[in-house]
Amino acid sequence: MVEIGQFSLVLAFALSLVQSVAPALGARLSDERLMAVGRPAAIAGFAFTALAFAILLWAHVVSDFSVLNVWENSHSLKPMLYKVTGAWGSHEGSMLLWVLILTLFGMMVALFGANLPDTLKANVIAVQGWIGAAFFLFILTTSNPFTRLDPAPIEGQDLNPVLQDVGLAVHPPLLYLGYVGFSVCFSFAVAALIDGRIDAAWARWVRPWTLAAWLFLTGGITMGSYWAYYELGWGGFWFWDPVENASFMPWLAGTALLHSALVMEKRAALKIWTVLLAILTFSLSLLGTFLVRSGVLTSVHAFATDPGRGIFILCILAFFIGGSLALFAWRAGSLAPGGLFQPVSREGALVLNNLFLTTAAATVLVGTLYPLLVEAIGADKISVGAPFFNLTFGPVILPLICVVPFGPLLAWKRGDLAAVAQRLAAAFAAALVVVLSILLFVDKSAVFAALGCGLAVWLVFGALTDLWVKAGFGAQPAAIAARRLAGLPMSMFGTTAAHMGLGLTLLGIVSTVAFQQERIVTLKPGEATEVGGYTLRYEGLTPAKGANYDEQRGTFAILRADGRAAGSVMSSKRLYTTRQMPTTEAGIRTMGFSQLYVSLGDETDDGGIVVRAWWKPLVTLIWLGGLVMMAGGVLSLCDRRLRVGAPARRRVRAAQAAGEAAG
Amino acid sequence: MTRKQKRLSVITAAAVFLAAAAGLTLYALGQKASYFYMPADLQAASLAPGQRIRLGGLVEEGSIVRGQGATVGFAVTDHQNSVKVTYTGILPDLFREDQGVITEGAFGPDGVFVADSVLAKHDENYMPKEVAEGLKEKGVWQPDEGAAKTQ
Amino acid sequence: MFFWTVAALLTLAASLAVLAPLARRAPAVAAASDRDLDVYRDQLAEVDRDVSRALIGMDEAEQARAEIGRRILKLNASRRSTAGAAGWARAVGAAAVLAIPVLSWGLYGVLGSPDLPSQPLEARLSKQPAESSPDELIARAERALRANPGDGRGWDVLAPVYRRVGRANEAVFAYRNAIRLLGDSAPRWAGLGEALAEQSGGTVSADARAAFEKALSLDPQDAQARFFMNVAAAQEKRYDDAIAGWNGLAATLPAGSEWQQASQRAMALAMQRKAAEEGGGPATGPTTEDVAAADQMTDGERGEMIEAMVAALDERLRTQPDDPEGWKRLVRSYIVLGKTDAARDALARGSKALGDPAKADELVRFARSFGLDATE
Repeated sequence: MVEIGQFSLVLAFALSLVQSVAPALGARLSDERLMAVGRPAAIAGFAFTALAFAILLWAHVVSDFSVLNVWENSHSLKPMLYKVTGAWGSHEGSMLLWVLILTLFGMMVALFGANLPDTLKANVIAVQGWIGAAFFLFILTTSNPFTRLDPAPIEGQDLNPVLQDVGLAVHPPLLYLGYVGFSVCFSFAVAALIDGRIDAAWARWVRPWTLAAWLFLTGGITMGSYWAYYELGWGGFWFWDPVENASFMPWLAGTALLHSALVMEKRAALKIWTVLLAILTFSLSLLGTFLVRSGVLTSVHAFATDPGRGIFILCILAFFIGGSLALFAWRAGSLAPGGLFQPVSREGALVLNNLFLTTAAATVLVGTLYPLLVEAIGADKISVGAPFFNLTFGPVILPLICVVPFGPLLAWKRGDLAAVAQRLAAAFAAALVVVLSILLFVDKSAVFAALGCGLAVWLVFGALTDLWVKAGFGAQPAAIAARRLAGLPMSMFGTTAAHMGLGLTLLGIVSTVAFQQERIVTLKPGEATEVGGYTLRYEGLTPAKGANYDEQRGTFAILRADGRAAGSVMSSKRLYTTRQMPTTEAGIRTMGFSQLYVSLGDETDDGGIVVRAWWKPLVTLIWLGGLVMMAGGVLSLCDRRLRVGAPARRRVRAAQAAGEAAG
Repeated sequence: MTRKQKRLSVITAAAVFLAAAAGLTLYALGQKASYFYMPADLQAASLAPGQRIRLGGLVEEGSIVRGQGATVGFAVTDHQNSVKVTYTGILPDLFREDQGVITEGAFGPDGVFVADSVLAKHDENYMPKEVAEGLKEKGVWQPDEGAAKTQ
Repeated sequence: MFFWTVAALLTLAASLAVLAPLARRAPAVAAASDRDLDVYRDQLAEVDRDVSRALIGMDEAEQARAEIGRRILKLNASRRSTAGAAGWARAVGAAAVLAIPVLSWGLYGVLGSPDLPSQPLEARLSKQPAESSPDELIARAERALRANPGDGRGWDVLAPVYRRVGRANEAVFAYRNAIRLLGDSAPRWAGLGEALAEQSGGTVSADARAAFEKALSLDPQDAQARFFMNVAAAQEKRYDDAIAGWNGLAATLPAGSEWQQASQRAMALAMQRKAAEEGGGPATGPTTEDVAAADQMTDGERGEMIEAMVAALDERLRTQPDDPEGWKRLVRSYIVLGKTDAARDALARGSKALGDPAKADELVRFARSFGLDATE
């Protein structure tokens, strides 16, 4: 059985090679039959990769310790959920998931690309094949998940306890769907460069793929942030950790791509820029893969420090980024240039968006790579953390947030800024009220926090204003406006939801950073501390036993200011017996959109325990905002316009089905 | 304005913005990047008072002192020099004597390093990379100790 | 065989997938410009929809229509000539089809281990005991004990096995459990002592010594305990005491038995050591290696001793068959020793000899929990 998995993987590699060569040559030689090879090769390639992945899953589920990967990352007593998710909790397994998703996207282009010109489709499939072949080769030569052990040990070494969490079931698959989804945009860009033909229709075809990748990446980052928040026990939601940055950069570039493709489709402008952006976005995804997999970073995510792997991925990185940029430099001149346009217009606003987003991505890139470069040339060892990013990323992204509500309200070609400003007056007033009431009633000195909250409210109401105006509320009788609202294209709801989500996330971040309260105290059973208007009374430690760990549970009773009980919260210290590794499970209690967060420290000699407790107001909005953004992406994907480019709805369903199958 | 002038002014505005962003980035790299030191490197380094650095090494055996409340004192050593550190908060789960650790913070006026974050390795096989390399250079680290993780 | 069949089928499927479009007649291809036209037509329709929703004004709509119209006009219907290099294409096609089997079988030959079957844990633990490795037998017993940690006899059987495979910590734990659940006995205390000694690297620690003393208080003749008390004496450099003790032990035990041989070897070592020390040589006490060496040498013989004990039990049950616990112990012992046939024989004899059908039933069930059935 396991060997069949190994064999399928090898077959998938062979198929990816055929997929890389035959359709591309077919397109070159204008041979329809060769071009047609791409479709079945891509479908079969996915089928065999899926078979290999399913067999790896099976080996994990039945604890087949004759497979090295299972022995290293599993344990017979591990709960079933973690046996399943453990299949991609290791380097080898996660790389297999990576190519599984890559071949999934390749297959979807093959299946749903019937409305693409044949040479474009053949070239897109071939470029997907190149990426696939490179990563299959990487897996087979440096990270084979099917390496065997003989004789087989009787018990495994267990999965890193930090990864034994539901988060592992959701975060990596979503993130990879995002990362790898951008490979399709990349393939479209490279195919267009090979073809030498690029026009507004190209943008229409590439948009649903960008949207799908973007919404998965949004989900992946959101989930990753929440996971880190509750699992690592530091109560932080974003650490500017290089690996987080590695996922954030493609998100910024992908968001820019989403907007520039819109300009290209509507106005046939920004062609060359959009192609470049598509290449850059996937290049940043590859860079992320390299940073995580090569071990050049010190991070929670760094699995292995195997130099061979790092060099191999570096070669892949150099080949694809260097190759595509060289192709771009060579062919971009031959592409027909796009039109010009007025600065004050929808497209002008979108260009502004691109300018800010790509600059923001560049600052993050510099901050992430600078320490590596400095160390590589043998100078000092330095680290670039939150202070750097707060100083650079903030000033770049804040102006963008200020102007977001204007964009959707501006008309194409020639916008009327004054009229738009007038329409946004209500949203501005709402923001002003929030700023003033925070200054008056909450904290007179919290100027920045008040402005931040105001900005978030401005975003939310600005996004709603767009729908309000387009439905004609105010100008039309309410009944007619409501009917018009229902008839608006889905993509408008998508835009509104995405921009609103951004506002909610911002609100969560500002409110948590500015108004959170923290207590670090030593408590003995019966003693209490006060945080965020609640009293936490420590009830003592009780031992408990889990499937593969022992734990000490610290329980806290929560009392309101008036002394009424408001439930309890439990934080525990675990010891995973196989690896003899301790972890801390934070206790979190959600109250509305806010949370009480309790984390246990060491026991003191006199029977007390160090307790760190936070009150985090509106913290859940950070992730709810991400979910709302995702929902915006889904709504836009449902828009019927995109189905002329690609049958979006079916594809999303397929992706969900695949996600479920993989989960 | 003519079409050409308009275009020029847009491009100029974008260039100014980009230049400002680049300048800000360079400034921030100079100001906000924190340098990594091992205890033995500290004599050679001339640190401005209050300058944030990252200090890495091993937690010296027998040096951990729990003060009142949640404040903990310990020493970071590379077996050549040793630096006293205080930290208020919850130490990482894998913080142990004779294990690799990275602390971030600044020296107080009394020469004690006041850390505001402490990172230990995050699983039993893992040694922070900077610490491992620093110790290797100083010939303290045996690869066995940090048993390279195989997966 | 199963694997090769599946592999061949998979290869065939992959090759056919590539071959199919090549063997078919060239599909009719729509000109690329048709696809673009689809998109532009839809854009025009969208402008109409926006107008009908009053999202854009008539002027804007006209401008947009004109712009889309210009794109349509620009569509260049003349494509590159399709006059093909058909020969080339055919060669590439053939190479592509061939590449699948050649590459996959070649690469698999390098990477695969076709002879190694899958080994799901569950299947490994429900194999016939005779085919199981010691590790698997231990894992199976552990599993039974996890389900029923109060099974003292289980701990009793497992404890010496742990010790034999060098898992001293687990052996100590198992002996303690056996003593707690089944009460004191000289062999258990002596076994615990040896496990404790192993735990501390072969040195008879204070804990171990206490255990041996307890064993001797229960049975002053216990060979194992006496042997190790002498090891302790040798460690304290009381060589004469140790040698005398071993001498006495060897004399009372039957020739060729485990502890008799071990005593003689240990005695010889101790004499060498004593001579070396008295001759002014480097003063080294009986080191851990010596003890370990003595231990290793007795490994095979210790197995013999266990077999002898099992044989004795077997004999006793032939004469006094009404002992359900005894039969269980016998069956389990044979299983642990890997003698499935003997175990099955014992099971058959036991269930026949036990008069009470309920007791016989229980014995059968007990055997089944170890994967042993009365009939093949």
